[in-house]
Amino acid sequence: MAVIEVKNLSKSFKVKLKEKGLKGSLKSIIKPKYKTIKAVRNVSFSVEKGEIIAFIGPNGAGKSTTIKMMTSILYPDKGSIKVMGLDPSRDRKALSYEIGTVFGQKEQLWTHLTPYDNFKFFGAIYDIPEKAIEKKIDELRELFELDSFINTPVRNLSLGQRIRCEIVASLIHEPKVLFLDEPTIGLDPVVKENIRTLIKRMNKEYKTTIFLTSHDVGDIEKLCKRVIIINNGTVVMDDTMENLKYHYLNKKIVEAKMKEMVNLEDEEGITILKDKGYNLKIEVDTTKKSVSDALKLLNPDNIIDINISNVPLEDIISDIYKNRD
Amino acid sequence: MLTEVKNQIKVVFLSIKYSVMRELLNRFTFISNVIFMMLNNASMIIQWLVLFSLRENMGGYTFKEVLLLWGIASSTFGFSRFFFYKAFSLSSIINEGKLDSYIVQPKNILISIITSDISVSALGDLLYGYIMLVFYGLSIKSFLLFTYFIITGGIIIAAISVILNSLSFWFGNTDVIAETGNHLMTNFATYPDGIFKGIAKALLFTLIPVGISNYIPVHVIVNFDLNLFLINTTVCIFLIYFAFITFYTGLKRYSSSNLMSSKI
Repeated sequence: MAVIEVKNLSKSFKVKLKEKGLKGSLKSIIKPKYKTIKAVRNVSFSVEKGEIIAFIGPNGAGKSTTIKMMTSILYPDKGSIKVMGLDPSRDRKALSYEIGTVFGQKEQLWTHLTPYDNFKFFGAIYDIPEKAIEKKIDELRELFELDSFINTPVRNLSLGQRIRCEIVASLIHEPKVLFLDEPTIGLDPVVKENIRTLIKRMNKEYKTTIFLTSHDVGDIEKLCKRVIIINNGTVVMDDTMENLKYHYLNKKIVEAKMKEMVNLEDEEGITILKDKGYNLKIEVDTTKKSVSDALKLLNPDNIIDINISNVPLEDIISDIYKNRD
Repeated sequence: MLTEVKNQIKVVFLSIKYSVMRELLNRFTFISNVIFMMLNNASMIIQWLVLFSLRENMGGYTFKEVLLLWGIASSTFGFSRFFFYKAFSLSSIINEGKLDSYIVQPKNILISIITSDISVSALGDLLYGYIMLVFYGLSIKSFLLFTYFIITGGIIIAAISVILNSLSFWFGNTDVIAETGNHLMTNFATYPDGIFKGIAKALLFTLIPVGISNYIPVHVIVNFDLNLFLINTTVCIFLIYFAFITFYTGLKRYSSSNLMSSKI
């Protein structure tokens, strides 16, 4: 059953234009000019129960606008949205019991209160009886390992601890769908990994459907089985992570440490990425030349050390952004 | 429906409780804000003492009635700023796109926003009004009527501010318009209505309804009049309705932002 269904969704913003300097400012008062920006254009997709979806795209692609329309924050111009069978622009209150939101850039917690007091406040917002709140806090405290700082004011927490608390606050009412808008922004690699583990655990324990936007390829690669790529307001790709890798991973990166120098210039299917004499880094296009042929050119007896890897997902995604612009 | 209202009130009081807890972190500032606001208000009475030493009656008010008028003005102001503080900065909240976290919660958006912060000095204004009531003459009747009118008056002031601030949904930054409206409501609140005539008086009972929120309560407390009491209540209900309609109509035009922000 689809928990999210988006059909032909569109949203435009009217932006005031202003010419340079004071003269431009005066002109814009007398005769204002506006420009319409189509932030989201005919976007359609659906999400099944329990999925972890990556909804990615460059800055200004329309990710946040789409999420905000799915969470009742913005009204769409055209198209329809159903989240848990509810229309976000008409059933705001009913929908808010079903969904949770974490906006990495916006804090929802009261900074002078402890996480515990904040969770109690969120419990009251969602009309949860006192005993049930306590039970839920205990459960989440254990799952998210909050014991050491649950009674420390939020303003004294590290960014990683704060994001953990933000996620817990959004889970107090047991939402069926969780929207995470760049949850790992600004976090160090260790904390990022920690948050990813917790998101996975949450998805497994509560079968929560997770709709994630992130610029961090690690988040996408490690968490999501399906990726929707949006650029210039339209969906440019909606595929499984496996397919994405399979179709775009027809290139391999070969890094080799050589005994003697080798000249691979003008070889079809081989692009030299780095050539520092005895250290060589090449990209092999497997549709034109097999990896084994490339290795033969290097001469196995001549190789001291070798590493063969896939093209980083980050490069694949930025390639898709560029090619489908 | 009743449970929904009960839950909303619970969240409002919890929100106010947490704001008070935050202010109490700095106990000295908290207490001094309250006391100095009361002293500030008290200093205004001196000019009236001087005026009443020259004449016994000002615009139909005795000195005690002026104290009552001051009490009503101070407490309605205090009530509106203590319970609905964010109603007075709603314009910037709208313009900076900071409504998101309230929209995704299953509570009334407008009520959640305007009650999300308090003004500590407003507590001084609120208490000062009751001191004036004591000077006027405290009785059960005057206490109950006074309390009722500072609630309706405070709501009227906040509702007008919500209406003017909500214009931001259509016209961008309207905080100056809203501020002017708020100033007008405060500036005329402490003068006896007898000194205003003609158009000025008509304005004070319509466009700038200080007459409804402040003058009518004085008249009703001094000499109970059911019609005036009902006018005050009806206008209060109408303005609540109008404030909600304006805010929610405007909300459809809301454009959020991705500014980094935190709730403090």
